[in-house]
Amino acid sequence: MTRGRRTRLRRILLGTVPLGVVTFFFLLPILWMAGTSFQSNAKLFQSGMGWLPTVLHPDNYPKALAAANFGRYFLNSGIVSLAVTVGNLVFGVLAGYGLAKFRFPGHRLVLLLILTTLMLPLEVTLVPTFLVVHALGWINTYQGMVGPLLVDAFGVFLMRQSMLAIPSDYMEAARIDGAGELRILLRIMLPQCIPALAVLAMFAFRDSWDQFLWPLTIVSVDHLRTYPLGLAQFGEDFGNPPTQQMAIAVLATIPVFLLFAVLQRALTRGFGLGGIKG
Amino acid sequence: MQPPNPSVADRTGILAGRAAMIVRPAMPVRRRAHFRRRIQLWGAVFVTPTLLFFAVFKYGPMLWAMWLSLNAYDMMSAPHFIGLGNYRSLMADPIFWHALSNTLVYIAGSTTLITLVALGLALAVNSAVPGARQCMMLMYLTNLMPIIAVCLVWRFLFLPYGLVNELLHLVGIGRIDWLTSTTMAMPAIIIVTVWRFAPYFMVVFLASLLAIPADYYEAAELDGAGAVSRFRHVTLPLLAPMTFFVIVVSALLCARIFLMPYVMTGGGPGNATRVLSMLIYETGFSYLKMGRAAAISVVLFGIMLVFTLAQMRLFLRAEQSVSR
Repeated sequence: MTRGRRTRLRRILLGTVPLGVVTFFFLLPILWMAGTSFQSNAKLFQSGMGWLPTVLHPDNYPKALAAANFGRYFLNSGIVSLAVTVGNLVFGVLAGYGLAKFRFPGHRLVLLLILTTLMLPLEVTLVPTFLVVHALGWINTYQGMVGPLLVDAFGVFLMRQSMLAIPSDYMEAARIDGAGELRILLRIMLPQCIPALAVLAMFAFRDSWDQFLWPLTIVSVDHLRTYPLGLAQFGEDFGNPPTQQMAIAVLATIPVFLLFAVLQRALTRGFGLGGIKG
Repeated sequence: MQPPNPSVADRTGILAGRAAMIVRPAMPVRRRAHFRRRIQLWGAVFVTPTLLFFAVFKYGPMLWAMWLSLNAYDMMSAPHFIGLGNYRSLMADPIFWHALSNTLVYIAGSTTLITLVALGLALAVNSAVPGARQCMMLMYLTNLMPIIAVCLVWRFLFLPYGLVNELLHLVGIGRIDWLTSTTMAMPAIIIVTVWRFAPYFMVVFLASLLAIPADYYEAAELDGAGAVSRFRHVTLPLLAPMTFFVIVVSALLCARIFLMPYVMTGGGPGNATRVLSMLIYETGFSYLKMGRAAAISVVLFGIMLVFTLAQMRLFLRAEQSVSR
């Protein structure tokens, strides 16, 4: 008993404490953001620890929101991110299913073709993608902002890998019962891929919520700008107090952290961490 | 005809297909085969939307970029063919060489550090330390914070009297001009990159650490292997494929870097942090030299190609080992 307690104490001292310190340093920038967003401008740069507010100043938030059209920017980001997330889920599930469970002529070639798009991110194809969207007449439109981001090879692969692990017997049984292929996908495959779906939704949402370069390239009107553009410009102007910049940064962070909290259980399994200790 | 390994048959549906045939003896052989082939065609139906999409937004644009890189095009007048003119003028442009070497230095530095830090964190979290899981979850938050927020926060932290220098000051290191000096701006951006991505790859490493069967360690322990030797002879060899994967994927991520230098340093001071993606954007959309921007894209594509080929080989090898 004492011995067990002593090893536990040793583990905490030699394991938890250093790990906790490392974790704290990783979290420090996030804490700095949150602290600064509630600090008064005058106190912020008084000393190194000036970002820790002794008195909370929540009025940084309404002031920051009023300083630019941030309500609209967040709305635009929300619309685009939601559409992109749904698109990635739908395309990823369909293509992943097709590649995991069917052997149509050329299926290996298709797999490789989809893999090759990993070397064609938007940063590489920026100029011609702009010209394509321009030719479609989609400059300064939602469809232009959403279109090129709607499918990603990552989602297709994630879904394929997770469906490979599901035995095909269920499918065959359903087929014999006369179920159609789409019905099999929706009723039999999807319920078994919840963790992969959670991972895909999390990453697709985060990536589109983060997307900067694409709206920067094709949006030139204020009412269609997304929050990263607005926030970057807000930060560009050093007349804008850091406290207000951080207020917007906190507001931008909340949706992603919330989604993480909601999906956390499924995500842990999706990452393959189902059996983690501790 | 019996496939050697039932799990392979499962993957491809052969075994299950055969089971279906056994259940339905009434169907004539030819119709049965036809039926089976028709079902397989559904796969083509399901991948078609994605392929069409990639044709319009990936393959098409890349081919267009290659063609465009041989033209002068300013979006006002029609493109006209100039052969390798864009490439030749890039070769003579010191800013292009700056951007290329910055990109490569950034990829090398970030990828190395991300891999080492991620591996270290994964090993720490994997030890049966109380609270390890909570620490992992908290560290992972750095990977979720919006990247524009990351850039703005770190720009403040790196100020001469910012938090980073204050902390360094506490341990007796003098103040460093992070983002305003040509030597420290790139290391600063690499630090932010590692902070952002190491926790993600920690999770990736952790998944493969958890997949190592406990018996391996027990067997090694019975053979008298100490902790260090268990790590060297059991953990490291089994982690090698995943380590290669992490290196390739993080290199692909880093090759695309745009926002961090764009917001934190604007590519400066001088050209110290100007990377290829920034140069593409500026050349194409500030100077409207679409052909020249396309030529830079082709160069960036070449870098991505190297890493993607490595990844593909890895992927194909994994597929083969599954079917063996």
